[in-house]
Amino acid sequence: MYEWMAWLEASALAEFLRGLGIWTYGLINLAHVLGISLLFGSIALLDLRLLGAWRNIPVATIARPTVPLAATGFVLAITSGIMMLSFNTTEYHGNPFLYIKLPMVVIGLINVAIVTRLPAWRRAISGAIAEPADGIFLNIAGALSLLIWLTVIVCGRMIGYW
Amino acid sequence: MLILLSATVPVCAHHGWSGNTAGEVEITGEVVSGVRLSGPHGTLQIRDADGNVWDITLAPGPRTHRAGLREDTIPVGAEVTVHGERHEDPEVFEAKVRRVIWEDEIFDVYPPRD
Repeated sequence: MYEWMAWLEASALAEFLRGLGIWTYGLINLAHVLGISLLFGSIALLDLRLLGAWRNIPVATIARPTVPLAATGFVLAITSGIMMLSFNTTEYHGNPFLYIKLPMVVIGLINVAIVTRLPAWRRAISGAIAEPADGIFLNIAGALSLLIWLTVIVCGRMIGYW
Repeated sequence: MLILLSATVPVCAHHGWSGNTAGEVEITGEVVSGVRLSGPHGTLQIRDADGNVWDITLAPGPRTHRAGLREDTIPVGAEVTVHGERHEDPEVFEAKVRRVIWEDEIFDVYPPRD
């Protein structure tokens, strides 16, 4: 882990960012906050719908705006996150919150890959007739997603307080 | 030269200070690596009279800059004194500081405590 961190800190990207002036870190931090709010704001709507909220709104109707917005937020957050980390990477060596957060982001992506392949999800977003067990599958998917992203956000926020 | 001052004052209300609870310190030394303001916080490296190289953390870049401490203010090799809190591990030469003194100039990157 330390070698990887030292590599990022010494990378051309890090050198470039450090040379951009005193407001750079703050602005990248801002992009990170925007990315997180876009991701979590969107995914919370979708996950709560999967958990049974607003049953009169079809899952497909909620998924149409929330999925692309969440994906946009994710790309913004991950890009700015790597940039923020690059400034002083080795300083976070041994930071437990970072060590929980990073694998949790990967788990979040794996969860997306699994959910989008679930027949229950496919039926829900295509507006097909649901099978009896679909509701349970979607409940679990929504709960897991909320839990994963909340953990990512909590750990991310705590990194700076360790 | 390292003078340990009173540790009875409350810890500065700023995040990331959890490892710096060993109390107030005043460190005088020679600037090894000048002020950098690009990261989450400004940084500075000084070597004290015992030869220990200290990693000094200042306020965030814009705030340190506003306190008058720019990257080109203090030349490498100059003698400076900093006031702040050192790392709790006496083997780790790190301090987060609120005041930097160079020649007759005082830079309070955080509000002075009195």
